Amino acid sequence: MKRYLRLYLHFLQFSFSRAMEFRLDFFFRIMMDIIYYVVNILLFKILFLHTDLIGGWTEEQMMVFVGSYLLVDSINMTIFATNMWWFPTYINRGDLDYYLIRPVSPLFFLSLREFSANSFMNLILAFAFFVYALVAYSGTFTIVELINFLLLLLNGTFIYYCIQMLMVLPVFWTHSSRGFIDLFYSLGIAMERPDKIFKGWLRILFTVFLPFALIASYPAKYFIEGLNLNDLLHLTLVSVGLWIVMLFVWKKALRSYSSASS
Amino acid sequence: MIKVQNLSKTFISHIKEPGLKGSIKALVKRETKVKEALKSVNLEIKRGEIIGLIGANGAGKTTLVKILSGIVHPTSGEATVLGFKPWERHNEYRKQMCLIMGQKAQVWWDLPALDSFLLLKEIYQIPDTIYKRNVEFLAETLMVKDHLRTQVRKLSLGERMKIELMAALLHQPSVIFMDEPTIGLDLSAQRAVRDFMKNYQREFKPITILTSHYMEDIKELCPRVVIIKEGEFVYDGALSKIQGMLGDEKCLSVTTKESTYKLNVPRSELASKTSEIFKANEVLDLNIHDPSIEDVIESIMKNGMKSK
Repeated sequence: MKRYLRLYLHFLQFSFSRAMEFRLDFFFRIMMDIIYYVVNILLFKILFLHTDLIGGWTEEQMMVFVGSYLLVDSINMTIFATNMWWFPTYINRGDLDYYLIRPVSPLFFLSLREFSANSFMNLILAFAFFVYALVAYSGTFTIVELINFLLLLLNGTFIYYCIQMLMVLPVFWTHSSRGFIDLFYSLGIAMERPDKIFKGWLRILFTVFLPFALIASYPAKYFIEGLNLNDLLHLTLVSVGLWIVMLFVWKKALRSYSSASS
Repeated sequence: MIKVQNLSKTFISHIKEPGLKGSIKALVKRETKVKEALKSVNLEIKRGEIIGLIGANGAGKTTLVKILSGIVHPTSGEATVLGFKPWERHNEYRKQMCLIMGQKAQVWWDLPALDSFLLLKEIYQIPDTIYKRNVEFLAETLMVKDHLRTQVRKLSLGERMKIELMAALLHQPSVIFMDEPTIGLDLSAQRAVRDFMKNYQREFKPITILTSHYMEDIKELCPRVVIIKEGEFVYDGALSKIQGMLGDEKCLSVTTKESTYKLNVPRSELASKTSEIFKANEVLDLNIHDPSIEDVIESIMKNGMKSK
């Protein structure tokens, strides 16, 4: 464990020293994400000009939710997204070879090797907005509730990562250049909506099979509406189940890895 | 020690006719092609031994190396390296093994070599003193001391290959797999890599499997060779014995006004063949000699072993 932490420190160091080299890219990335944040916040602000409640939440509650998913998204962008982007390339070009021969988990390497120093600035921005939404929030909460909220959001990030992995892992068999990651991004919008708007089979889809609704909406619901044991149980089961399924598919994928010839 | 028994590997790939029409057709009905990359091969290599694995492109050399290094699962058969099944990927095994592929880089492109080495130190948990000693020793013998702080992408191909060797050997592996380590290098860089490996082998006595297209590599480094043809071992034995393999044949090198070519001729037909050539062409030069190792291996790779 300690060793993996030290390895991750190396990754951090590498990525920062590289990020300094490509400054244009650095600023471009920050601008792109600021636009993304503003669009998201404005969308709900405009909707609230016409209504008082969306999915049962008021504007200030909704801002806590928006802050939540922007935070999760920026953590994902910083830690996982670049790796997921390269994942199909590593598999198709056979670069996985060198990870498989090391006495370190190849999943660790593939998932975490590229820390995105560029997105790190955006993580700070997203976190700032999150804090702002909490400060503007008029409801009361205890420190323990806040910490639990943050832990649930971290769990949400983990769910987000698992879903992405399940979208890129088919590359082992299809050898396509992107896997189903585009599908992931188009469905990913489900994460940006309160889960109460999903009914029927859509609800089952987004809370069990592709549990986007558990990423930020459930944690925000806990924070705003208090503890609901059913939700907590559901969250735990689906998170653990997703992790097991992902590991299972990963193991299967390695078995059928054919390694592009040199 | 490496022990391989009846090891086979079959790849299944989908074939598709060229163009859009072919793609649509493949969507409806996919045709599969089965390629037997290895057909029930057997092999034993003792500690300290270095063998040369030679064969044409696609003969199965790389597949064997990838199975033994744990990257690819075999379809059937058994193999143990140092007592481990490679594809189970035990950390104990992976710590004692290294793989060098001439066509795939393992050090990080955008970083100075020393940064990559530090990462490897962490990965293999190399103690400080040993790490320092090994970096010093390898950099010295490979003569790359001045390049360790330069970003790898700015180095020449030859320098990069030496860095790759360093990276692979930092943790003092007792099993070394080298897949075409000298590919694309100029003659002096080839020689440098070769000389280094020769000394390394003598000093540290790892088990080494080397594949190469350059006969110079094989001749210098490997007293024992395995020739592989279409997934089967057609020769496994001393390199020095190979020359006698073609038996009674002589090699003719003919230079005419138009071209230069070589052919192997049984000794008994030597006279008739030569006069035939003289009649048919305007010969500028003609040489009769014993086939070289290269000639023999080329012939074996093309035609397989002839039963004498």
